[in-house]
Amino acid sequence: MKDTLILSLENVRSYYAKGNYYVKAVDGVSFNIFKGEVVGIVGESGSGKSTLSNVMIMNIKKPLNFIEGKVILNVGANFLELNTLPRQELQKIIWGRETSIVPQSAMNALMPTKKIRDFISDLVKDHFERALNEEEIIERAKQRFTDVGLSPNDIYRYPFELSGGMRQRAVIAMATLLNPRLLICDEPTSALDVANQKLVLKTLEQLRKREIVESIVFITHDIATVRQIATRMVVMYAGKIVENSPVEDIIKDPLHPYSRGLLLSVVTPEPEIKKRGISFIPGTPPDLANPPIGCRFHPRCPYKMDICEKEEPPLKKVDTNREVACFLFNK
Amino acid sequence: MPKTALKPFLKYVGRRFFFLILTYFVAITIIFILPRAIPGNPLSQLLSRIAVQGAANPETISNVQKSLMEEFGVGKPIIVQYLSFLGRLFRGDLGTSINFYPKKCLDVLAPFIPWTLFLLIPATLTAWIIGNTLGAVAGNKRGTWMDNLVLNTSLVISQIPYYWLGMLLIYTFSVKLGIFPTQGGYAQGLLPSFSFKFITSVLYHYVLPFLSIVIAAIGGWAIGTRLLVIYELDADYTIFAVNLGMRDRTVFKYVFRNILLPQITGLALNLGSALGGALITELIFNYPGTGYILFRALSTLDYPLIQAIFVILIVAIYFANFIVDFVYAIVDPRIRLGQGEGS
Amino acid sequence: MWKAMIRPLFKSPKFIVGMTIFLLIVLMAIFGPILYPKDPTSFAGMPEQPPSKEYPLGTDTYGGDLLAKVLNGTRSSLYVGFLVAIISMSIGLLVGIFSAMKGGIVDELLMSFTNIVLTIPSILLAILIASYLRIRSLEVIAVILGILSWPWFARAIRAQLMSLINREYVYLSRLAGYGDFRLAIEDLIPAIATYTFMAFILFINGGILGEAGLSLIGLGPTKGVTLGVVLQWAVLMEAVRRGLWWWFIPPGLVIVLLTSSLLIITTAMDEVFNPKLRER
Ligand SMILES: Nc1ncnc2c1ncn2[C@@H]1O[C@H](COP(=O)(O)OP(=O)(O)OP(=O)(O)O)[C@@H](O)[C@H]1O
Ligand SMILES: [Mg+2]
Repeated sequence: MKDTLILSLENVRSYYAKGNYYVKAVDGVSFNIFKGEVVGIVGESGSGKSTLSNVMIMNIKKPLNFIEGKVILNVGANFLELNTLPRQELQKIIWGRETSIVPQSAMNALMPTKKIRDFISDLVKDHFERALNEEEIIERAKQRFTDVGLSPNDIYRYPFELSGGMRQRAVIAMATLLNPRLLICDEPTSALDVANQKLVLKTLEQLRKREIVESIVFITHDIATVRQIATRMVVMYAGKIVENSPVEDIIKDPLHPYSRGLLLSVVTPEPEIKKRGISFIPGTPPDLANPPIGCRFHPRCPYKMDICEKEEPPLKKVDTNREVACFLFNK
Repeated sequence: MPKTALKPFLKYVGRRFFFLILTYFVAITIIFILPRAIPGNPLSQLLSRIAVQGAANPETISNVQKSLMEEFGVGKPIIVQYLSFLGRLFRGDLGTSINFYPKKCLDVLAPFIPWTLFLLIPATLTAWIIGNTLGAVAGNKRGTWMDNLVLNTSLVISQIPYYWLGMLLIYTFSVKLGIFPTQGGYAQGLLPSFSFKFITSVLYHYVLPFLSIVIAAIGGWAIGTRLLVIYELDADYTIFAVNLGMRDRTVFKYVFRNILLPQITGLALNLGSALGGALITELIFNYPGTGYILFRALSTLDYPLIQAIFVILIVAIYFANFIVDFVYAIVDPRIRLGQGEGS
Repeated sequence: MWKAMIRPLFKSPKFIVGMTIFLLIVLMAIFGPILYPKDPTSFAGMPEQPPSKEYPLGTDTYGGDLLAKVLNGTRSSLYVGFLVAIISMSIGLLVGIFSAMKGGIVDELLMSFTNIVLTIPSILLAILIASYLRIRSLEVIAVILGILSWPWFARAIRAQLMSLINREYVYLSRLAGYGDFRLAIEDLIPAIATYTFMAFILFINGGILGEAGLSLIGLGPTKGVTLGVVLQWAVLMEAVRRGLWWWFIPPGLVIVLLTSSLLIITTAMDEVFNPKLRER
C-alpha cells in the first residue's frame, strides 16, 4: 500500500499484573493505521480497548506491563520505536505533540481548579521551555475553541463553568492543540446526549479533513457511531483483534462470527436490544486472567470446530484489505 | 474580581456564618440545659441546698451563694432562666467564679487564653503543613520505600495521644537528659513582660509541648493526604494531562493544589479534637493555658467557671472555623464563582 | 462469598501484623487478669518499686501492682471502646438509613441535625457532660462518647445509600458491563458492610482514646481501672518528673499499640477492598 503509515503495532502483548497472575488485556495485537484513516475499534466492555489505547502511545503505568511487541510511530522524518523510549522522552516529544488521547470520561478530564488558559500555558511551557511564543499558542487555542464550536473566550473560564457537551469539545480542542498526528478518542460520546454526540462527531471529522490531525482512532461500544465516522473497523474480543476490515465491507458482510453477532445487534430494530449492545450474544466474555485455550470465542461460537478448541487462529489476510482471525477462513 | 463574581462568594460565606451561629446557639443551649437536666448533678444539689437554707435563714448564706443563686435563677421558671442566661451572655457576662469570688469568670480566664492560642495555633499549622507535604510526597511515590516508611510511621504516630507523647518527651529530654525544663510556661520567679529574658524563657519552655502536639498530629494529616493524592493521581484530569505530555512535576503541582482544598476543610473539622488534646497536654506540662485552669475548675467543681470556659472555647473554635471557611472560599474557584459547593 | 472476599486479606502483611497485635492484646485483656489474679485496687506492696520478679511492672505510690492495673485496665478500656462503637454505629446506621430512605424534609432535618452535632466539638462536650455526673460507670462514659461520635458515619452511610437509590451506581455498573440490578445490589451491600466494619473499628479507637482523655482530666470512670485511669494517677503523682517510667509507659504503650493496630487493620482492608488502592 502506498499510503503513509502512521502507527504500527506488531504482535503487542500488554498485561495487568495482579498478585501472582496476569490479566491479558492486550494479547498479541497487530495492526496498522495509515494517514487519513479513521479507525473504529469496537468490542465488549472489558475487551481491552482502553488498554490498547494506552499501549498505542506506550503509556504503561504500574499494574500494566509491556510484555513484548513493537509500537512504531511515524514522527515525520522517521519512524520511532516507542517501546524503546524512556518515559521522559515520550512525555517530551511524543505525548500531546504526536499523539493525543481524548479520554473515556472527558467530562472530568479538565483541571478543576485552573482556568483553561492557565492550563494551556503550563502545558506549553512543559513542552517547549519558553522557546515558543505563548501568545501564539493562546491565539491558536482560541481558534481551536472556535473550530469545535465554543467561544474563544471560553478559554478564560474554569471547566465547571462549561456544560458537559462544552467540556467534551474543550477537551478535544486541547487534545489537538499541538497538532498531533494521531488522535485517539476513547468513547468520547458515550456520556453525551444525541445532539452533542453529533456535534462531537462533526468536530472530529472537521479536524481530520483540515488535516489538523492525520488519523483518528475511535473507540466505542456503538457500531452506529463507527459506521458514521470510521473508514475502517477493528473488532476486539478478549484482548485480541478478531477482524479488521473497511467499514462498508464489514457492514455488508461481516466475516468473523463475533462480528456477525455484533452487527446483528445493530440491525435488530428493537431499541431494547440495541441499547443493551451485544450482550445478547449467548454466553459471557471470558476471564482475561485465564482465557480459553484455542480461539477465545469458541465457547460462544455457533460455528465451532474441533480445531478451534486446540489452536489459536492467527489474524490473516483474506482479501486485499481485510483481515480476520477465524479458522472458517483459513485452513 | 468583577462585581458579579462577588455575589456567590458572599452567599457562601453568609450561609456558613448563619450555620455556625445556629450551631453555636445549639451548643449554648446544651450548656444551659445540662446542669438542669442531669439527675443528681452536684450543681443543682448545691443550689437547692442553698435555696432551702436561704429560705429558712437568709443571713447564713454567703455572698458567693447569693451570686450563684442569682446567676442560675434559682426558683424562677426555666424559660426566664434561659432568657436571662442568654441576655447575660449577649452582654458578655459569663458569671462569677466560685473559687475566685468575686472575680468574674471572664477576668479569671483572660490571662490563660493567649497561652493556649500561642501553643495550639502554631503547632496545628506546623503539623498541617509538614503532614500534608509528607503525605503528598509519599502518595506521589506510591509503593516505594519512602511511601512505606511514611505510611507505616504515620499509622503508629497518629495514634499516640499528644499528652502521652508529652510525658515521653518530658521523661527523655527533661528528666533523663536535662536539656529542657520539666514544666511551666516560663521559669519560676520571672514576671511576664516583654523583656528578652522572659521571651527566651518562654520559648525554651515552649519546645516540648509544641513538639508533642506537632509530632502526634503529623501522622493523621500525612495518612489523609497520601490517600487523596493517590486518588487524584488516578483522576481523569490527571490522566488527560499526562497523556498530553505534561511533566510529572507540573501534574503533581496541580494535584497538590487540589488536595489542599479539602484538607483546609479538614483543618476546620479537626480543630475541636486538636483543642481537646492541647488542653490535656497543657495539664501534663503544667502549662499556664486554658487546660490548666479548666482542670482546676473541674477539680473544685467551680461550675460557673467551667461553663464560661466552654462558652469561650466553642466561640473560639467557631470563629476559627469561619476563618477557614473564608479562606477556603477565596482559594477554591468553584465556591468563589458559586458552583460545586455541595458537600 | 465471604470466604472469597476475606482470603486476599491474609495476603496483606499489614493486615496480618495489625491483626496479630490486636488479637494478642485482646487475649491479654481476657486472660491476663485470670492468669495474674492480683487485685488491681489493693495496696499490695512497697510503694513505687521498679519492675521486679514479684511485681513485673513495679508498683505505684500506694503499692498497687501495676501489671494487675494494666491488665485490668486494658480489659475495661477495650470494653468501653466496644460499647462506644456499638452505640455510635447504631445511631449512625439508624440516622443514615432513615435519612436516605425517607428523603425530603425528614432527610433535610436529620442532616442538619447531623451537621450540627458534627460541628460541635465532641471532646469538649463530653468533658462538660462528664463534669456534671458525680458517678460515672464505664457504661456511662461509653454513652457520653458514643452519642457524640456518630455524625460522620451517618453522613457516609446516607451518601452510599443515596447513590443506590439514585441508580447512579446501577447506571455505572451497567456501563461497566454488568447487565442488571441484582449485581449492583450484590456489589453494594458488601461495600456498605465492609465500610461499616471499618467504621466500627475506628469507633473503637475513638472510644479508647476518648476514655483515656476524659480520665486524664479526672472525668473518667469513678469505679474500676482503665488505662486512662492508670495514666491519670501517674500524672497526679508526678510519676513522669520523678522518673517512675514503669508507671506511665506501659499503659500508654498498650493504648498506642491497640489503636494503631486497629488503624493498620482498616488501612489494610481499604487497600484490599478499595479498587482504587489495590496494589498491582
Ligand atoms: N488497573 C487495572 N488493573 C487490573 N486489571 C485491569 C486494570 N484496568 C483494566 N483491567 C482489566 O483489563 C481488561 C481490559 O480493560 P479495558 O479497560 O481495556 O477494557 P475496555 O475494553 O476499555 O472496556 P470498556 O468498554 O468498559 O471501557 C479488563 O478485563 C479489566 O478488568
Ligand atoms: Mg475503556
